Amino acid sequence: MIQITKLNHKYRNKKERALKEIDLSIKKGENIVLLGQSGSGKSTLIKCINKLIKPSSGSILINNEDILKLNSKEIKKVRKRIAVIFQEFNLLEKETVLNNVLNGRLGHIGTINTFLGRFDKKHKEIATTNLEKVGLLNLRNEKVCNLSGGQKQRVAIARALAQEPEIILADEPVSNLDPKLMQEIISLLYNLCKEKEITLISSLHFIDLVKKNSSRVIGIKEGEIVFDGTAESITEWEMVKIYGKSD
Amino acid sequence: MKLKRKYKSMFTGILIFLVYLWAMNGTNSSPISFVKGIPFMIDFLSRLFPPDFSITGSLLSKIVETLQMALLGATFGALLAFPLSFLAARNITKNKFIYQTTRGLFDLLRGIHEMVWALLFVSMVGLGPFPGVLALTAHVTGALGKYFSESIETVNPNIIRAIKSTGANKIQVILRGIFPEVKPLFFNYYLYYFEHNFRAATILGLVGAGGIGMELTTSIRLFRYHELLTILILMVLTVMIIDRTSAYIRKKTTHDIPID
Repeated sequence: MIQITKLNHKYRNKKERALKEIDLSIKKGENIVLLGQSGSGKSTLIKCINKLIKPSSGSILINNEDILKLNSKEIKKVRKRIAVIFQEFNLLEKETVLNNVLNGRLGHIGTINTFLGRFDKKHKEIATTNLEKVGLLNLRNEKVCNLSGGQKQRVAIARALAQEPEIILADEPVSNLDPKLMQEIISLLYNLCKEKEITLISSLHFIDLVKKNSSRVIGIKEGEIVFDGTAESITEWEMVKIYGKSD
Repeated sequence: MKLKRKYKSMFTGILIFLVYLWAMNGTNSSPISFVKGIPFMIDFLSRLFPPDFSITGSLLSKIVETLQMALLGATFGALLAFPLSFLAARNITKNKFIYQTTRGLFDLLRGIHEMVWALLFVSMVGLGPFPGVLALTAHVTGALGKYFSESIETVNPNIIRAIKSTGANKIQVILRGIFPEVKPLFFNYYLYYFEHNFRAATILGLVGAGGIGMELTTSIRLFRYHELLTILILMVLTVMIIDRTSAYIRKKTTHDIPID
């Protein structure tokens, strides 16, 4: 489903490449966790997959289509199928929960309907169904700024699901939450993706969360893949390879 | 060392004193002239009393006209500034020529005072409230354009990224990502400029651009000081009413983010 070949990226203001010769093949419905230290290249890789960042070189094939060769109009069509969940939720704080989830439908409605603020019954139903799935239907008319961190991330998950995506990219989705909520949100996200056969690529810091939930772990260190295997197969030695020696 | 510091502060003090002396000299502002003028001021103020409330009815229609000018000037200005402000926001418009040109246009419109715009429009379209509306519109377009575009530039780029990642196009990003974030600010600026316009509109009458200002000028020229005081009282009352009303609307429309 996703075929990444020789992907490199270098930020303009940095000497070192953020991604080095990344080769990765991901099947439909797989649950992938990118593991690595801050600044290891996890977020860069995630942002490259839906071209929020244009990588310096390499190719990213999604369903045999090289997204790096697409023009801006074509990339919007691809983005419709790839939802993103961000660490800082990135919700409109002054808007209602429902309005935020409806934003997940923007790729499916025209500009004029957006201008008029008109979402058909079908789009509203998709939004409310997903709000129900994350357990926030009763808060649909609440402003986002009145919600807790965990609730905000649930709204972000509902927005992602409202896109009816084939792929979800989750960039450190639980880093801003307390440990109890982390497990809850990760389980919710994993179960929903499993139910709908959505390919999930998430970046995480914590090994405990990974072992319990993920099917495949990609360890990244300084922009390179240093581990690719099942969560169960990670040994202490692999952890050292990913995170380096602790003092 | 201490002595050096002492001389330094003394020198700074003398310098500040000289700057003020220079400014006062240039503007003929002297405390002696002020003191000398006090009896004339008292005489002038005494001639203002009592206010002549018998003309309130006819003045009210002029106050209403001034309000209408303020409303139209603020609304037309906001409507013109709104689309242009996106062209003058660095995070939306990547084309430097368009960005700089729009910014330049705002500077031009804002840099010229309403009174000067009124003089120009009176020469173009004649006397009355209409050139006043045009003058206010011109100035407000420049001012609101600047404030609107600066508000757009402060929108969190992550919000823009999140909306963009759903497959939304540029207009959708603006409508559903940026506009909801800046809406309260835009509305506050609009209300502020409505208040501002009322105050500005009162002086536009001095150049024949309609409103209560024309009555004010006539009263001064014809030495009708009782009428003048009535006009001033009505103006202050109207400003107070606008101020309280807009504060109430702001309170109702601005969502307070709770502080934990």
